[in-house]
Parts: sequence; C-alpha cells; structure tokens
Amino acid sequence: MYLQINFKSGMPVYLQVVDQIKAAAASGVLKAGDPLPCIRPLAEELRVNRNTIAKAYSELENMGVIETQQGRGCFLKGNNSPLKKDVRRKMLIEEIDQAIVQAHHLQVGREEFIELVQERFDVLDQKRRSSVAGKEEES
Amino acid sequence: MSSSEPVVNVENLTYTYGRGAEAVHGLNLKVQPGRCYGLFGRNGAGKTTTIKCLLNLLRPQKGSVRVFGLDAVKDETAVKSRLGYVPDQVAFYPWMSVQETFDYLASFRDHWNKEIERGLLSRFQLDASRKTAVLSKGQRTQVALIAAICPEPDLLLLDEPTSGLDPIVRREFIETVIGAYQDGNPGNRTILVSTHLITEFEGLIDEFTIMDGGRSVLTLEADAARDRYQKIRVRFTDAIPELNLEAALRVQRRGRELELVVNGGGPELLARIQQHDPESLTTEALTLEEIFVNALKVQAV
Repeated sequence: MYLQINFKSGMPVYLQVVDQIKAAAASGVLKAGDPLPCIRPLAEELRVNRNTIAKAYSELENMGVIETQQGRGCFLKGNNSPLKKDVRRKMLIEEIDQAIVQAHHLQVGREEFIELVQERFDVLDQKRRSSVAGKEEES
Repeated sequence: MSSSEPVVNVENLTYTYGRGAEAVHGLNLKVQPGRCYGLFGRNGAGKTTTIKCLLNLLRPQKGSVRVFGLDAVKDETAVKSRLGYVPDQVAFYPWMSVQETFDYLASFRDHWNKEIERGLLSRFQLDASRKTAVLSKGQRTQVALIAAICPEPDLLLLDEPTSGLDPIVRREFIETVIGAYQDGNPGNRTILVSTHLITEFEGLIDEFTIMDGGRSVLTLEADAARDRYQKIRVRFTDAIPELNLEAALRVQRRGRELELVVNGGGPELLARIQQHDPESLTTEALTLEEIFVNALKVQAV
C-alpha cells in the first residue's frame, strides 16, 4: 500500500491518511488481518509529523477499521463495524449529500449521478477481484 | 506544569540592537506541548533574535519570555537543562573529535541516550574519531542534531537548521527529527523551528507564525491555513463577466482566464462564479510557502 500526501488538496493531512487506508480496505488492497505500516517509519517516509499519523490511526481505530494489538502494531479489522446500522447510514448520508451538492455545482444531473455511482461500484469490484487474483498468484 | 500551560510563552517581546535597529517588536508566541511550531520569515525578520531570547543569549528589553512556565532569564539553567538547540551556525571545539565532543556535551547533562548517539552516528555514517575541524557543513549540522537529541529534551529549538545543506542531508535531518526525536515520547516532544525553507517542513508543522520586520504577520494552524487559503482558476467561454471579487486577496486576468487567491470566503465566491457557467473551474489549497509569500505581499501593499 502506498500513501501519498497532497498539501494542495486543502484536506487535513491526517484525514488524507484515514481516507486512503479506508479506500485501500474497500478495494481489497488491504485485507482483514493485514498489518498496517508502523507509525514511525510511515511518518518518516511521508515526512509528516509523527502525531499526524498517530491521530489518523486512532481515528481509524475509533471507526472500527483497524485494531491495535499491544506490542505488535496495527491491523486491519474484518468488515464488521461496531456502529449500528442507522448510525452507519447516517454517516453515509452526510457524504452523499456533499457529493450531490458538488454534482449540482458541476452540472451533473440526477440520472448521470446515479449512473456514475453504478460505474464506480463496478470499478471498485473490478479492483477487488484483481487484487484477490494477484494475491493468489503470489502464494 | 499543567498540560495546558504552553512550553514556550512569549509576550510582547521587544529587542533592539544598537541604535534604533529594531529586531523584534511586540511579538507574542505560544507553543503548546507536543506540537511542532514553525517560525517563518525572511532573512532579518527577527527569527534568530527571538530564539536567542528564549535561550537567554539576548535579554529582552520589553515583554516576557517563559519556557516550561519558567523565566528564561532568571531560571536559565533549569530551562536549558530541558531543551536542545541546533543553531544556524554550528561551531565546536576544533581540537576535539566527534566522540570527545559528545562526551564533553554529555557531561553537562543529567541524561544522555547512548543508544540514540550510536544509532544516529551509523545512520549518518559519521566517523566518531574524526576531529570536528575537518567535518563538512552538513556533517557539523548532523553532529549538532545528535547532540541536541541525545539528552531527549522536552523542547527542540531549531534555528534555520537546514539552510545551506544539500538535499540528502536536509531530508535525513527532517526524518531524524520525526523518528529519533518525536517518536521517543510521542505527544510530549515539542519542536520550535525557524526557517525560510518552508516546503521541506510542510508535513511537520502543526502551527506557525509568519514574522516580518520583527512583528507577527499571521499565526495559524497549518491545516486551517490550507483550508482558508485557496487558489481558484476559472476559464469562461467568452469574456470574463462582471463579478464581485472583493473577497479575493489577489486577482489575475489573462484573456478568458481568471486566477484568484482567497483567504476564507472561497465557497461564497465559488457560488457566484458558478452562476456564470464557467468552461472550467478548479480550486487548490495554497501550500504553506505560498501562504507565506501571499501574506508578505499583502503586507507590502
């Protein structure tokens, strides 16, 4: 997994790390039980504040995406969020609303937006399948 | 010391060199524990003077300088025992070897982490038996950094640490500050770095103050700054329409293209631009270096 920080995105650095790890988990690049890079080498490599990475990891832990095993580091958790279904839906709704507002400003209509969502689901599925295939070849 | 008390607390600091040449005027600075704080400014902005006042190398004529809640002048020894310092001009006793220099400096300290010393000597590929007189500028800075980190101080003061060094040494310097220093006691290791090489410290900085002419021009959290300062690029199908651009810091027109720099108020301005159906519209955050340049430009007007 490669992380990349873009200071021009205007997004807080720790959130960029959170989002990229969530994306890696969703696309199958990271699987349940996979270790995450340790905080110190990752901070050194990205040349960002150590506390920024620590903040990202503790955020991911609160969301139930990763877990810390004492003395062994952080690992990706299975896909069972500790949050209740309605809470998870509410979190997603906020993101969808933002995307809809953005779509409005970019003159992308309802039909086209829904088409795009379908398309992105397909892309992610494809990625997940190919990363499974890749891992099987490795072993 | 309570956790909310700042590690560095400078209030209304004024220092004047000789006749009238004022180096720092009415400066306020608060650095909270565990943070990495950037002091940005051009040459002569008063950064080094400020840091020298923290170290009691210079005595403020007005205002107060407190470090760890202690008075930098009255409690000089107590303050210095808890900080490490890498100056812009590194100097050692030329007749001492690197190892003798470390042993000499360690003799003034309550605590000296030998393991860090060994680890960094090997990382920097430094030969500890060499005399400091024959070291290159980069190697002297590396020795100074090791000497500043080995006592594992609560505060690391870096004054233009990477100026004049080659890119590899600069990169290693920053990685060492993140790894060997910060990781040792996460959340409690505080860094105050003065620099005009802002780009390389971008990822490390939590909060910063831009200084100019001895005064503070702007103090912000780095993430908040990148959120507030945005560059908007618009291309219209025809000519640029009439727009209220008062909110923009800077406006540049090139034919059908418009480039704006905003400090807050970006979303409102974007909404107004959208109403004119632009052909393309992109926004990006300014980097800390661009924010620095813009802050000083506005200052000059």
